[in-house]
Amino acid sequence: MALVGAIVFVCLRVLPANSLTVALTLVLAIVGIATRWGLTESIAASIGGVLGLNYFFLPPVGTFTITDPQNWVALAAFLVTAITVSQLSVGVRRRAAEAIARRQEVERLNALGQAMLLSGSVRSAAREIVNSIIRTFDIPGAVLFNQIENEFLRSDARAQSIAEDQLRRVADSGEAAIDAKSLTAVVPIRLGGQVIGSLGLIGCTLSAAALNAVAYLAAIGIERSRSIEEAGKVEAARRSEVLKATLLDALAHDLKTPLTSIKGAVTHLLAQQPGAEDKELLTIANEEADRLNRLVVEVLEMARIEASKLHPDRAPHDINDIVAAALKAQEESLKGRAVELRILSPLPAADVDFEFIQQVLKQLLDNAVKYSAPGTPVEIAAETAGERIVVSVSDRGSGIAEEEQSRVFDKFYRGRKSRERVLGTGLGLSIAKGIIEAHGGKIWVTSAPGKGSVFSFAVPMVKGELVR
Amino acid sequence: MSGAKVLVVDDEPQIRRMMRATLTSNGYQVDEARTGEEALEKFRAFLPDLVLLDLNMPGMDGLETCRELRQGSDVPIVILTVRDTEKEKVEALDAGADDYVCKPFGMQELLARLRAALRRSPGSSEGGPQSFVSPDLEIDFDNRRVRVKDNNVRLTPKEFDLLRHLVGRGGKPVPHRELLQAVWGPDYGDETEYLRVFINHLRKKIEPDPARPKYVLTEPWVGYRFAMPDQQ
Repeated sequence: MALVGAIVFVCLRVLPANSLTVALTLVLAIVGIATRWGLTESIAASIGGVLGLNYFFLPPVGTFTITDPQNWVALAAFLVTAITVSQLSVGVRRRAAEAIARRQEVERLNALGQAMLLSGSVRSAAREIVNSIIRTFDIPGAVLFNQIENEFLRSDARAQSIAEDQLRRVADSGEAAIDAKSLTAVVPIRLGGQVIGSLGLIGCTLSAAALNAVAYLAAIGIERSRSIEEAGKVEAARRSEVLKATLLDALAHDLKTPLTSIKGAVTHLLAQQPGAEDKELLTIANEEADRLNRLVVEVLEMARIEASKLHPDRAPHDINDIVAAALKAQEESLKGRAVELRILSPLPAADVDFEFIQQVLKQLLDNAVKYSAPGTPVEIAAETAGERIVVSVSDRGSGIAEEEQSRVFDKFYRGRKSRERVLGTGLGLSIAKGIIEAHGGKIWVTSAPGKGSVFSFAVPMVKGELVR
Repeated sequence: MSGAKVLVVDDEPQIRRMMRATLTSNGYQVDEARTGEEALEKFRAFLPDLVLLDLNMPGMDGLETCRELRQGSDVPIVILTVRDTEKEKVEALDAGADDYVCKPFGMQELLARLRAALRRSPGSSEGGPQSFVSPDLEIDFDNRRVRVKDNNVRLTPKEFDLLRHLVGRGGKPVPHRELLQAVWGPDYGDETEYLRVFINHLRKKIEPDPARPKYVLTEPWVGYRFAMPDQQ
């Protein structure tokens, strides 16, 4: 207003100018005012300018009355021009300010993104995110709500002004709550369409788009820390598996080494034609060394199965070959038995680890021999069932009572009737079960007490591959 | 081969004691080494006819020791180990071992393995081919010498015996069992993984292109065959 007064005074007294010059000068001044201060000020200046022109320059000078209708038009034109130009110039000014603010926001978001990616620590990831936001946007407080962990992380006491309820509500509804009066904003944190928490900011003047971007950066930060943590867990699990395997190997070595000395010494003495009494004692020592060795092997194998260390080396194999290998290995104990083979021909190849399945078959044959009378036949059958090959070993032994059938695959379980009579560790069948399950297969028993038992296992076949 | 010198390499003192007592009592001369490094030293001084090598030793392990020994010698090597998977066996044979015995073992079994490792299949003086000559392969069975494209090639005794037996059958397929028994001895027959590894070694040494062999051919389900020049 002072400027308008000054222009009017100067034009009136210092350098007498005509009304046109005064009007144009005033318009110029008003544009300046609009650009510098804003619309309200420039409108006030426009009105002041109209009054000043009217009073000092338009005849009759010294009054607010206008006699010439042309001057009415001129005054109205002046007022409209002044206000329109003010509006345009204020608009330009606002857009420029907005552009600067957007640029600053983008710069800060960029800085925030970098700060979050640089934070290496996993545990303090949420704290890092909150601190980075406060630092980058220069706001008094922020709070992060992690819905998955159900954790609130506040920058400091000032951030208490955003209630937990509000943070939960935003996370539940997925809709931002922005309060322009108190300058607080709560936005949902989304990752891949799913809300994983919410972020509250105090004293925040960010645009909605920038708020979303901040929330998105926070989501990435949280997810990144989670995946680092996951990777750490996987690595830890792998290390503990390696450690277990190493321990088991060391244990195997330490248990078998003394057995080697014992067995070597005893078998050497047995070969020196000892007297009958010595021979009996040495034979006992030798057999017990073998038994101890079997026990060590089985316990370690069980430990490997339990530590999920059993990795079958699967390849297409002919069940006939595996059966033949198992029969060859059990030749000694099968002496005097008729072995009947009922193997479907042609049979698809089995997708199995040769050695492991041979071991299972040996175990089943061993059981068949142990739990049936000498001289009774043993039968091995193989057929297809869906996409699996089912192999079974049957004996004509005493069978297994129904209540025991479900327990024979349990570790260290030994049949009630046979506990005294039959040597064994009670691990054989649970190892067989572990091996078959490691192939994604199934093992089971059907038995009629007094008639015999049938142990069967199903393993995957190789589709489309027929063997001889 | 009574009186043969055996170097026992094992880090376990009780096993060395037991081996010394039993092997000496069976007519062998025994020396011991506690580590792979010591084995290499003792090997040069003692000049054993056979090495019994433990796989699991601190420091330089059995496989590495085996490879080192193989670099400068074709002495028979028998591996002793507590591990008995096929993978471990193949690894040991690949490193140059002649045989593989799993701990704990009966003494009779070990002695049989030692005899098998020490035996040489009968030389050509007792029949069999005297030599084989083709443009890129010359085998002198009398002097146990092989030349590939004018270069002398060193074969281990087992590799050489395997080659001699295959050539001796004049291009006919030789079943796995027959080969194993001819080269290792009558107690063998099921160790087809031995053949796989040794045939592989043989091909690497004498075939112009080991991936596409023209001499030592696989007969699926049966065994192996040495292709005579007129069969190629």
